[in-house]
Amino acid sequence: MADKIIQVENISKLYRLGTIGTGSFRQDLQWWWNLYVRGRKDPFFHLDKTAPPGIAADQIWALRDVSFDVKQGESMGIVGSNGSGKSTLLKIISRIVKPTTGAVRGRGKVSSLLEVGTGFNKELTGRENIYISGYILGMNKAEVAAKFDEIVAFSGIEEFVDTPVKRYSSGMYVRLAFAVAAHLEPDILIVDEVLAVGDADFQKKCLGKMREVSQAEGRTILFVSHNMQAVNTLCDRAIWLNKGQMLEMGPSSAVVNKYIASLQKLQLGQKWETPQEAPGNKFIRFKQVELIPHVEHSDGIIDVRTPLTVKFQFWNMLEEMSLNVGIVLYSYTGDCIFDLLSPALHCHTGMVEGECTIPGNFLNDGSYYITLTIAKEASIPVYNLDECLSFDVEDYRADICYFEKWWGAVRPKFPFRLENHQEVCQLSR
Amino acid sequence: MSVPKDKWDWEITSQTSYWGAGLRELWSFRHLLEGLVKRNFLLRYQQTILGPFWILFPPLLTLVTYVLVFGKLVGISTGTLPPVLFYFAGIILWSFFNDCFTGTATTFRDNVHLFSKVYFPRIIIPLSVIHTQLYNFLIQFLLMLLLVAYYWFFQGLRLSLSITILWFPVVLLATALLALGMGLFFSVLTAKYRDMSYVINLGVRLLMYVTPVIYPLSAVPEKVRWLVQLNPLSPLFEAFRLSLLGEGTVSAWQLAYSILFSAVFFGASLLLFNKQGDKLIDVV
Repeated sequence: MADKIIQVENISKLYRLGTIGTGSFRQDLQWWWNLYVRGRKDPFFHLDKTAPPGIAADQIWALRDVSFDVKQGESMGIVGSNGSGKSTLLKIISRIVKPTTGAVRGRGKVSSLLEVGTGFNKELTGRENIYISGYILGMNKAEVAAKFDEIVAFSGIEEFVDTPVKRYSSGMYVRLAFAVAAHLEPDILIVDEVLAVGDADFQKKCLGKMREVSQAEGRTILFVSHNMQAVNTLCDRAIWLNKGQMLEMGPSSAVVNKYIASLQKLQLGQKWETPQEAPGNKFIRFKQVELIPHVEHSDGIIDVRTPLTVKFQFWNMLEEMSLNVGIVLYSYTGDCIFDLLSPALHCHTGMVEGECTIPGNFLNDGSYYITLTIAKEASIPVYNLDECLSFDVEDYRADICYFEKWWGAVRPKFPFRLENHQEVCQLSR
Repeated sequence: MSVPKDKWDWEITSQTSYWGAGLRELWSFRHLLEGLVKRNFLLRYQQTILGPFWILFPPLLTLVTYVLVFGKLVGISTGTLPPVLFYFAGIILWSFFNDCFTGTATTFRDNVHLFSKVYFPRIIIPLSVIHTQLYNFLIQFLLMLLLVAYYWFFQGLRLSLSITILWFPVVLLATALLALGMGLFFSVLTAKYRDMSYVINLGVRLLMYVTPVIYPLSAVPEKVRWLVQLNPLSPLFEAFRLSLLGEGTVSAWQLAYSILFSAVFFGASLLLFNKQGDKLIDVV
């Protein structure tokens, strides 16, 4: 049974807005004078009567009663939207800020990598920066010296090691900075969003290194990222923070899925009871549009594997007319992915309904919206129901160790043949 | 859920400590201190043509100004000492004090990018400043010895080595402690109030005029001498000149006052610095 290496117990962090650090000495003196000498409340900062008891309007709980344990050798992911307290939590565990209440206990040496290039100075050479940054991150001289060649090799800056880093390209700078951090040997490594920088190739290298650190060397990692695939593959367990509170803790895939599901801005259907309130014009009134995902797995998330059926119904008030319906799919940037036209149908007045299925393994991950168009006699527009459906397609990569955004508007799975024959091949001399 | 506390190596709570990092922890960061000192040197002379010679030029230039303005123009007595030696001793000790103090007084403000990203004992940064300034001082001190040698061989200056030379390291240490103490104290204030950095700049310039840098204490009229003597720096400057050049007005009591003042002020500031250090990061 693995031992606990970090215990976080009821951590809360209250940030005061305004009451301290207002910037001027005079204001603070005045505040102090009013509060302690005259026994009055601060005239500048009023307590909001509507705020919950105990919390003034100018205070914010960045974290509220967060508790969890991390076991030796475990990697723990922390997910949540911006401002949910992820970074504050990491800063508390790294001893940078103090919690307002609660305690964190742990064993062993902690190194935190909250930013790439902490302690780097642009005027100094790569060599000098490796040393100083190593020291700042908690290594001693012998450790840096022992790792020096490895760090340089990992970052690939061999020729530039004695050049001031201000002459580096930004990519080289980031590579070197990460390389130093990646060769730390703490018992607990705390990493915040470092993958957001650097090119795709480098990100892959970083993730590979982190996996190596956690799995091969058995170190404990606390990892914050917005890259859900990375959290999913790298971490054993995950925590979901929302507005400073812990919503969920458990196996990383389950937590990540729940988090993603909460983010999806879905409009999967609209329905109108009577033609009067329905969108449309004197020819057409929509009754219903619906997007039905055929999710096979239990978590209910639309991902790249999910087939999607678009269903629609409308009242037709045009007599004896040939109609066709178009489904136009747009990406969230407004680029048209496809414009799919139905065959023409000779219609009488009354209800028209139809459906179309977008197969699974076709769309790339991303956000999409759908516009329905109705045309008569092949090309004369009758009505467009703009942006009536919107949905997100999440990424899914079973065992593919590739974390960047997949290229392309679509990601179809066409039959692909690749064979290997045993033939002697020789490169000509 | 209850785990015996001794199972854990460390604990982080809302409590802040007056004692800060233990000595053992400081020792584990000794390489960082060394690295920072090296960095301070490298940064200062990166892309300069004359490099480390810049340590020597400012005091020499100040010396020329003082000799011309205060020596020739105003005509302040420098006792029996040659004005050059008198002023130079004052200048290098004052610049040591000045650079130590102003260099540490904005510790939090200048290093917030570092302090908000990684933990290490915060005191390392001001210590590295003092360390760097100590090297600067020693280099300037070598120049002073050269000046003394010049006056010895070519101007017939006769200095007798006495027991007071032992005061030299004591004076240096007390000056460093006082500068660091003031620096730590003001670093907490400058973190909270930006106004303080203006106060510091102005104050330190005024402080120089109530310190016997450009005049000997003996030249101060009796009526206002108490004001200069109240300044804990005054006995240090007098003792510095006494120990090196054999002339200065200072009693053992006055020196004891300075040393005690420096030590107590440093101790109190260190406690404040430790206590406030963890909280200030929310404020800076």
